[in-house]
This record gives sequence, C-alpha cells and structure tokens, in this order.
Amino acid sequence: MQDTGVHLRSVTKDFGAVKVIRGVDIDIERGQFAVFVGPSGCGKSTLLRMIAGLEDSSGGKIVISDRDVTDVDPADRGVAMVFQSYALYPHLSVFENMAFSLRLAKRPKAEVEEKVHKAAKILQLTAQLDKKPAQLSGGQRQRVAIGRAIVRAPDVFLFDEPLSNLDAELRVQMRLELARLHQTLGATMIYVTHDQVEAMTLADVIFVLQGGHVQQSGAPLDLYDDPNNRFVAGFIGSPSMNFFDATVEARTETGLRARLTGQPDLSLDVPLSSPPDVGAKLVLGMRPEHLMVTEADGLRVTVDVAEELGGVSYQHGTLEGGDAVIFQQTGVRHNMHGTLQTVAPQTDRIFAFTPEGERIR
Amino acid sequence: MSIATRRRREVRDAILLVAPFLIIFGVFFLYPTYKVIALSFTDAPLIGEGNWIGLDNYIKLFNDRLFYTSVWNNFYFVLLTVIPTTIIALLIALAVGKLKGRVQALVLTLFFLPYVLPVSVVTMIWAWMLDFQFGILQPLIEAVTGKPVPVFKNPHWVMPMIAVVTVWWTNGFNVLLFIAGLRNIPDDLYEAAALDGATAWQRFWRVTWPLLWPITALVLTLQLILQLKLFDQVYLLSNGGPFNSSYVVLMQMYREAFQLNNGGYASAIAMVLFGIIVIVSVLQFQLLRIGGRRR
Repeated sequence: MQDTGVHLRSVTKDFGAVKVIRGVDIDIERGQFAVFVGPSGCGKSTLLRMIAGLEDSSGGKIVISDRDVTDVDPADRGVAMVFQSYALYPHLSVFENMAFSLRLAKRPKAEVEEKVHKAAKILQLTAQLDKKPAQLSGGQRQRVAIGRAIVRAPDVFLFDEPLSNLDAELRVQMRLELARLHQTLGATMIYVTHDQVEAMTLADVIFVLQGGHVQQSGAPLDLYDDPNNRFVAGFIGSPSMNFFDATVEARTETGLRARLTGQPDLSLDVPLSSPPDVGAKLVLGMRPEHLMVTEADGLRVTVDVAEELGGVSYQHGTLEGGDAVIFQQTGVRHNMHGTLQTVAPQTDRIFAFTPEGERIR
Repeated sequence: MSIATRRRREVRDAILLVAPFLIIFGVFFLYPTYKVIALSFTDAPLIGEGNWIGLDNYIKLFNDRLFYTSVWNNFYFVLLTVIPTTIIALLIALAVGKLKGRVQALVLTLFFLPYVLPVSVVTMIWAWMLDFQFGILQPLIEAVTGKPVPVFKNPHWVMPMIAVVTVWWTNGFNVLLFIAGLRNIPDDLYEAAALDGATAWQRFWRVTWPLLWPITALVLTLQLILQLKLFDQVYLLSNGGPFNSSYVVLMQMYREAFQLNNGGYASAIAMVLFGIIVIVSVLQFQLLRIGGRRR
C-alpha cells in the first residue's frame, strides 16, 4: 500500500530576518494522528501552513505520500485543511460549501450529490444541508468545515486549532468526535493546538514545538513519563510541574543526594545513571500529582489558594524561600487554605535537569 | 424613584436629544420641500406669491420637447457613468488591494485626490487639458480621430467627455468603498479556496464577487442617484450646448428659475426629477437585491 505519511526534512522558514522555523525534521506515518503542540508563537501554525502549501518554505523538503511537494501548489498536495475560523463561504448553503471543491473540478452532479450526502451522514449534517452557515451553531459550523475536508478525500487532514472557538463543553464533545472520525476514516491527520489536554487525548504522536524547533516527539505518555528537557516537562501535564533549584550534596549508589536551595533540612535521593559532580547546580522537577502530604520531613508549603474540583484538588502555595508550589490531593477534602503543609515527593518520580534545562538521566 | 417618573425623565431626555435634528430638518428640509410642492401648482415668480393654477405647470412640462431632450440626456449620462465607474473602481480596488503597507496608502491617496477637488477646479483642469488650441490631450485625440476636436462644442463628444471628467472626479470614493468591502473578506476564505483547487479567476467569481455584491449594489445605487442630479459639470463645461446636446433636467430647472424667473414651473421640473430619481433608484435597488438573493 502507498505510504501516505508526511515527512519533513530540515524545513526552515524565515519572515525577513526573523527565523520562525529553524530546521524541523518530522516523520508522521500513514494513518497516524499527529499533534503539534506548543505555546503561542512557537511556529506550530506556520509549520502546518507550510505543509498545506499556504506558506512557502525557506529551506528543506516536505514529502507527502512519497511525493516531494515542497514547491507544489496547495491544491495538488492531497491535503485538506480545517481552519480555526472554519472559513465557510457565508453566501453558500452547507451543501454548496461542502461541494465547493467538486464544483471547481466540474465533477458530475450525481457524484457531487453522493459524496456530499455521504460526508453529511458521517457528521450528522443531513438536516442542515440547505441552511446557510450563519444559521448554524458553532459546533455545526465546525462539522461543515470538517465535511468540506472529507468530501475531498485527501491523503492528509490538517487541523489548525479547530476547537478553540467552541465553548468548553462542546470542545470536549468535538474532541471525542474527532477521535472517532479518525478511527472511521483511518486517514493521516495533523492537528495543531496550544492545549496540551487536547494533544494528550487525541494524539498517536505529539510534537512539542518551541522556538522553531521540535523539542521532543513521541507518544503522549512517553512525553509525560520521560521528558527530554525542562520545557517539555513543564508543558506536558496539567497543572504543570514544580521546579526547584538544588545542589548536589553527595553521590549515592543509585544516583545522587541533592539539597534544595533554601531548604537546609531536606535532602532528596534522586536515582540517576550519570549523576553530575558534587557541588554542581541542578534543577529538580516534581509533578503536583507526585507530591504527597507527609508527617515526616519534607517541603513546607503555605497554602494560599485551594482549587477544589470534587474528585481532586490542587493546592497552590509557596515554600519558605518564596518558590511557588502546586500539589494535588485526591479523594480527601481538607480545608487546607491558609495552612502550613509538609509534602514529600515520590523519589522515583523526581526529574533532574541542568540549569540550562537539559535532562539529566 | 417611581417607574412613572423615570419614564417621564427618559422621554424628556429623548426629546432633548432629538430636538436639534428635528428643528434643522424641519426648517431646512421639510418646509422647503412643502414650499416646492406648493409652488409647483402656482404661476409664482422666483420671489413672491403666485396664483393657484392647478396642474397647468405639469401639463406644460409634459408638452415641452426640451424636457424630453433633458431627460434623455440624463439617462444617456447615467449609462455613460454608472456602470463604467463601478467597473473601473472595482478593478482599481482589486489592484490596490494587492499592494501592501505604505505603497498601498500612497496609491490609494493618489486615486482619492481628485475627489477632494471642488468641481470648479476639476472642470478648469479638464477644460485646459482638452482646450481646442492648447490642450495637452488634443494630440491624443488627433492621433485617434485624425484631427483635433473641440470636445465641449461637438454634440457627439460633449456628453462622453463630461462623463470622463465625472468618472475621474468621483471614482476615488467608490474605490474606497470597494477597498473597505474587500478588506472585509477574510483571507481564510481565499486560502480555503486555494486548497480546494480554485484558480485566481474562480476565486474572484466564486468568492470575491458574491461577497462583494452588497457593496457593488450600494455603489451602483449611490452613483445612479448622484449622476441623475448632474448639473455643475454641464453648467461649467458646456452650459447645456451645443444644440442642447448636453442639456439636462437640472439645467432646465436652473434656467427656468434663475434666468427666466418662472419659480412655479421650475418647481414642477424639480418635482418630476425627484419622482424619477425615487422610482429609478427603488427599482434598481430591488433588482439588485433580487440579483443578490439568487446568488
């Protein structure tokens, strides 16, 4: 079977003197759901538009379905895109919006009817076909935009933050529908979002972008369990990881013992295979869900804000030194607001980074 | 505070806010309008009262051959200006829309500049440029026709040339309207169309044109009303001549009122022109709306 994957080789993009994409290599296999995630301005949308052909590449090679499409027109790349704004034609009915590409290609009437109705059935839009986009709800418009892509039967679907204009409830619902759609169609999909929850729930493979580079790529849980650097560690996971400055106090058999800056009575054992020398500075990262309230020695946190969500609660506070800390509580409801709590990390769940942000393993 | 008091206060505020406009509108528009209607049924001179003569002015007008010449010339002028100026403005707007930043602002200013000029200056410029003996455009005319043409003294040339001057003068505003309309069309739509495989031509006909239609209809209607009211350019460039070939309805009204002192008759002419403009523009607007809905 033909490989309809998407492959990028040292792709770059400059806007004048500004380098937006600085040499990106990406491999997305056929049928995979890939998500580009990163903070705003990281170049993820630009990268998607380069794959679509809406932006020219300044360098590198883009291959779709075994074809070098770096200089090919958008229409001839075999991709369809769903825009953040949906980009529906306001003067055309839902049917004509979905039929637009077929009409341009002057396909026979019967074929247009068949393809549009088939897509409308998948997306439950059959009752809306005669309406104008202005008469639809946000979620329905979103579906029409997806329907327009389905009708073209592309090798690759591109989604540019498609859910960010929907309200929270609808976003969760559409997220599920997209996951189902991917299973139904089995097509390659590339999805851009700044929302790491969307990325974690939808993706087969996540590409974390920042500063025009791919910081790390892999399966969602791999990124969560084994981040390559401090940026990825902080970006993946919600609420984000706590980071504390520390100094290496001693080497141990399994790794090292580190002392947190400003916490003279707590040292932590961190298992590492190649620990740095004694006295070296490093940054320790601990996820909120791995900090446990303890009676023994630990970090003393003054809780100032408690977010109670029912099943879990997030306690926001500060260390004596002023560092912000978040820790998670599951299943218990103490009114911790304004109290002093002692928390200790699970030692096998501590991540160590160099002060520059690289992971120490 | 009781509801009734608050209600009274709201009404008082509303009246206070609307009053200045109502007074000015009444004194300077409603009252003169009433006077014109009343005058058109009398034999009054320009100043002073006249006698009630019923529909005599209208009967006289509909038997006046010069009036039919004027109306015909008005519609000829509308034909020469309205659609051409709309097409030209759209083409310029599409071209200017391709430019970016300061260059775009500069070019737009250049196209808008004539609109700022008063009509007397515009006609002066063109009278000079088209002067039979010294006009810098005469060599161009000569190259096409073989001999220089005194354009404002030639019955075939006079209306088209006044149309050219008018289009040059008023086009900037239409360009501005179209530019505003084009900017309202999101780039996403063009990008989506490009991904769907639309050529530049298809993008224009299937995206730009239908989405710009409300603006096009507006420009057409505004132009129709404006060009039916033609007077200044004719008065300044050809004074209705030669052989009444540029005589228009407002020109006739002006002569009757201010040169022949026939206030009543001039009012009747004004009323008929008013009627024509209302009928034609409502008709056109309805036609354009139907055209827009079918799309």
